Amino acid sequence: MDAAEDEAAVERVLAGDTSGFEGIVDRWQGPLVNLAYRFCRDHGRAEEMAQEAFLRAYRSLDGWRREAAFSTWLFALATNVYRSELRRIPLRTLSLDEIAEPRDERATDGGFEDKDRDRSVRRAVLALPAKYRDALILFYFHDMDVGSTARSLALPEGTVKARLSRGRKILSKKLSQRLGPVRLGEEF
Amino acid sequence: MGDDDLARILSNEQWVIPSAGFAIAVMDAVRRDSTVPPPIPFPWKRILPMALVAMFILVALSIAGITLLIEYPLSQLIQWPKPRNAVGAAWIALSLVVTSLAVRLSMRFACRKPY
Repeated sequence: MDAAEDEAAVERVLAGDTSGFEGIVDRWQGPLVNLAYRFCRDHGRAEEMAQEAFLRAYRSLDGWRREAAFSTWLFALATNVYRSELRRIPLRTLSLDEIAEPRDERATDGGFEDKDRDRSVRRAVLALPAKYRDALILFYFHDMDVGSTARSLALPEGTVKARLSRGRKILSKKLSQRLGPVRLGEEF
Repeated sequence: MGDDDLARILSNEQWVIPSAGFAIAVMDAVRRDSTVPPPIPFPWKRILPMALVAMFILVALSIAGITLLIEYPLSQLIQWPKPRNAVGAAWIALSLVVTSLAVRLSMRFACRKPY
């Protein structure tokens, strides 16, 4: 992603050339849809949420202060949109006590079991209280970078670290009841 | 599940590919949005003097009310009507029913489509 290209595109849009926004959509559609998908686990809804994020970005492009990278600003805005959308129309998730499914008895080589376990972990993250869920989703989306996570959530890094730690503990406790002993260490 | 398993599961997620028409749909929405006139700003300049006057009247009335309450006890100011008899209540109920019927009837006439 070229920051200069983003800046040039923003300048074009601010000068009245709407088509300048196409470049921004092309460059950022993948990350924004994927981030939305991690918040809702539904491809259709993820695209709707990402579209809303792009629209909001378009409307408030003049609010981008150049001190931060365009991507930082865009992710923070998108995160806000996704969190608001989830508050407006909550996910149909199971509670943390209900998330884990029975193990697949067909599993012989661990393949099915791994997939089941991975799915259970991801669903468990969505069932977490929102503040822990958001921190965990963004932390792993940003390749485990606490700084980027903190900027996306507009929170101090210390708060993010605390939420990650607490979120991991809750996950560990809930998942260990169903999936066996879980040890989720600190990684930041 | 080991220490790094959560990291492995949550960071190595399959990358979702946006559908083919996604970017076009976004740009359509953006173009539609750009043609919509900006919302009319709230007329603070006009409202502010009136709001100040209203605030002033409210404060003045409150002060007058409090002064009145200090001078006269509440029981002297408010004299609750005492029910005289059941006949009076019946007349009140009847008048309310008649008023309600009159209002409904007139609204029905007013909402009727012209022929």
